Amino acid sequence: MTPPPADSVAAMIRPAPLRSDSKTNRDLLSVMQGAPLGYWLLLGTALLFMHIAGGIWVYQVYKGLGIAGYAHPVFWGVYIVTFVFWVGIAHAGTLISAILYLFRAKWRNAINRGAEAMTVFAVLTAAQFLGIHVGRMWKAYFILPYPNQRGLWVNFKSPLLWDTFAITTYATISILFLYVGLIPDLAIARDRATGWKKVLYTVLALGWQGSSGQWKAHNRSVLHLSGLATPLVLSVHSVVSWDFAVALVPGWHTTIFAPYFVAGAIFSGFAMVLTLMIPVRRIFGLEAYITDYHFENMSRFILLTSIIVGYAYAAEYFIAWYSGVEPEQTAFWLRAFGPYWISTWIMITCNGILPQLLWFKKLRTNVPFLFVLSVLINIGMWFERYVIIITGLSREYDPAVWGVYIPSWPEMGILAGSFGFFCTFFLIFLKLFPIVAIAEMKEISIHEKAHATEGVH
Amino acid sequence: MPVLMGIYDLPGQAAGVAKQLRGRGYTDIETYAPAPFSEVEDAIDPKPSRVRLFTLIGGLTGVVAGYAMTIWMVNDWQIMIGGKPFSSIPPFTIIAFELTILFAGVMTVLGLFVFGRLPRFKIDSAYSARFSGEEFGVVVRCRDRDVAEIDTLFRDHDATEVSLVES
Repeated sequence: MTPPPADSVAAMIRPAPLRSDSKTNRDLLSVMQGAPLGYWLLLGTALLFMHIAGGIWVYQVYKGLGIAGYAHPVFWGVYIVTFVFWVGIAHAGTLISAILYLFRAKWRNAINRGAEAMTVFAVLTAAQFLGIHVGRMWKAYFILPYPNQRGLWVNFKSPLLWDTFAITTYATISILFLYVGLIPDLAIARDRATGWKKVLYTVLALGWQGSSGQWKAHNRSVLHLSGLATPLVLSVHSVVSWDFAVALVPGWHTTIFAPYFVAGAIFSGFAMVLTLMIPVRRIFGLEAYITDYHFENMSRFILLTSIIVGYAYAAEYFIAWYSGVEPEQTAFWLRAFGPYWISTWIMITCNGILPQLLWFKKLRTNVPFLFVLSVLINIGMWFERYVIIITGLSREYDPAVWGVYIPSWPEMGILAGSFGFFCTFFLIFLKLFPIVAIAEMKEISIHEKAHATEGVH
Repeated sequence: MPVLMGIYDLPGQAAGVAKQLRGRGYTDIETYAPAPFSEVEDAIDPKPSRVRLFTLIGGLTGVVAGYAMTIWMVNDWQIMIGGKPFSSIPPFTIIAFELTILFAGVMTVLGLFVFGRLPRFKIDSAYSARFSGEEFGVVVRCRDRDVAEIDTLFRDHDATEVSLVES
């Protein structure tokens, strides 16, 4: 018998090697390491768009709001449309994090971090548009009830003020939710990072060590934040919808607006999660964590909310006809066949008709198809807000004051810049923080391991 | 007093050993876990977290603050708007609702900081990066004469490793 080669004998007498780090950690932390050229190109493009928009904004401050396309009677234009669009996008994050948490839908663990980050950046993007829209952004604090020499207070009966409270609360709670969820993952990163990143994570992880008292308080906090965020998310877009519904403009003054806007927000938010997570999964090879099952579940949500949104479109037209109110009927007739007919048909096609393809399982599991569809839904949802706001204002009660609004180049530039702003922050987040909640993925994998072991006994 | 640490692969093992230690009268026990597992946390302290008290206080403060602020402000300088009463409860309910959520949320996070003892500036000497990997640790402080007993207990529960953190 030939003796075993010397090196294998050496391997036998050496002590067992230290157990390597958990595979989940290695896979998910690897997303944060290194940045290929493509990443820098994307980040550069996003930054470029953001700065161009910044330049346009400075120009607008210098010249005044006249450079926006506002023309009598339309004084709510692309800025407000884009504000509503981004607030809507922000809704999926909380829905996935909070509502699915309460329903104990464990599949959310793979996508909730990305969705929460998206929420925070979308709210921050949206909030800027209020300042851009009012023109003199430095007077934005007027909307807050602060003591002043004039002894005046804000008007709490105005939906715009409800909006202030809703949006600031939503931004605060979304940031807290994201951060609380991040703390255990920051500790994971802290234990493995070096250099300046170690300092960053050490500070942000707050000395987390996963002791029983910490997990107990953490669990309870996440549960309570979910319970609080669930009614909040439903209230925020309801309040945004009341900005319109409380006004007496034909096409706006309807009670259906709150549920219609909330469904639309969830619809567009899920589409945006798909738009972001499909490339992220592909580029960073996260197929083992974010599976087709996750995408299929999200497309089911998209299908459901698309049906609600489609029903709302139909109900609006039906009620306009059935009510017998002439301004209402005219407004809706002109939506579909008036000067803005292209926007209306884009909205109906992208939001009501195309998502019906998701009834087919083949298409629900076809990732390239989902990506294209999600982009189309984003476009459709932007046009939905455009249709509601612009057609409503341009065709009010008195035909003598009807007018046509055409978006100007500064407005479109700032709209493009908002995507740059959003993408810049999302791309930076991607490299600094775990985009998939590592501790929550382990919760699932360790449970599975425990069940498998118990099965053997 | 010596501090002993057992390392486990599964939450059930760590929970079982922590429960037994408590049953035998040891009080200074701590566990480290890579993810939340209620059985492990309950083995140390089965009472529900008091974070809920913070949420409740925050929420109640928010709802009272919301109504009080709006009602006081409209009456501090009365301006008739749309012929509506000054103290209109329905629109103020929206403000009160948002502040309820805001205050309750902030207080919940404050509760996490208080009961999770965060931020902490010194990491426990028993803590190591393996607990942010996929392993569980049970750490107990005991008298010298109990070391052998605890060592046996740790190993009986399939500890992958038992070590003396402090002697």
